[in-house]
Amino acid sequence: MLMIRTIVRPEKVQDVMQGLLDAGYPAVTKVSVVGRGKQRGLRVGDVVYDELPKEMLFMVVPDADKDFVIEAIVDNAKTGDGKFGDGKIFVSAVEEVYTISSGVKETELEAKEA
Amino acid sequence: MKEIISVIRINKVNETKEALIDAGISAFTATGRVMGRGKGQVHYDILQGAEEGHPEAIEQLGNAPRLVAKRILTVVVPDELAQTAIDTIIKTNQTGKHGDGKIFVTPITETVRVRTGEAGDAALN
Repeated sequence: MLMIRTIVRPEKVQDVMQGLLDAGYPAVTKVSVVGRGKQRGLRVGDVVYDELPKEMLFMVVPDADKDFVIEAIVDNAKTGDGKFGDGKIFVSAVEEVYTISSGVKETELEAKEA
Repeated sequence: MKEIISVIRINKVNETKEALIDAGISAFTATGRVMGRGKGQVHYDILQGAEEGHPEAIEQLGNAPRLVAKRILTVVVPDELAQTAIDTIIKTNQTGKHGDGKIFVTPITETVRVRTGEAGDAALN
């Protein structure tokens, strides 16, 4: 399984969440974060905003679905005019996944199905 | 080293903290409220119905499931303690209903204790 962490503009969160739902990936966790990118924040006149508010979406998907999910996120998260600040997507490995309510190890189920 | 990320019910956080201490794992990081949704709240028959073109199903499509507040508890443990931590979290949080949460286990390549600069498993004890 892979963990996909996406940092998106707060105003785009609704679109991305709806896009993921329509794509068949309802399970998402959302965290409010602040951060800066390689542009070192945002400069308006003399004022520099070093920490810009973003939303981090956090989901774990089967390996095979990675590209599809990333496409669904990118399609909904980008503003389209090449502006900075649309966010980033990070993908990392997840070795084991458990559902607490049933105690089931999802990764084992997946291995059996494959 | 393993990072154990668990998304759990808000009212179970204190219980989980105590249970982890009893299991010999005292260090953790928690987030404030996070919002999320799981697969339990989506009606696949609506999606199916919409695909088949039933108008009443298509009407329901825009209704996204509501987000539920949870907290994330992150524990970094040496490999041999990982299973203990997972079992403890499952045992304390399991009510058997939807919404108990999920546990994700990811590998950690390096840990450094900032105070002394120690690296690896030594930084976790």
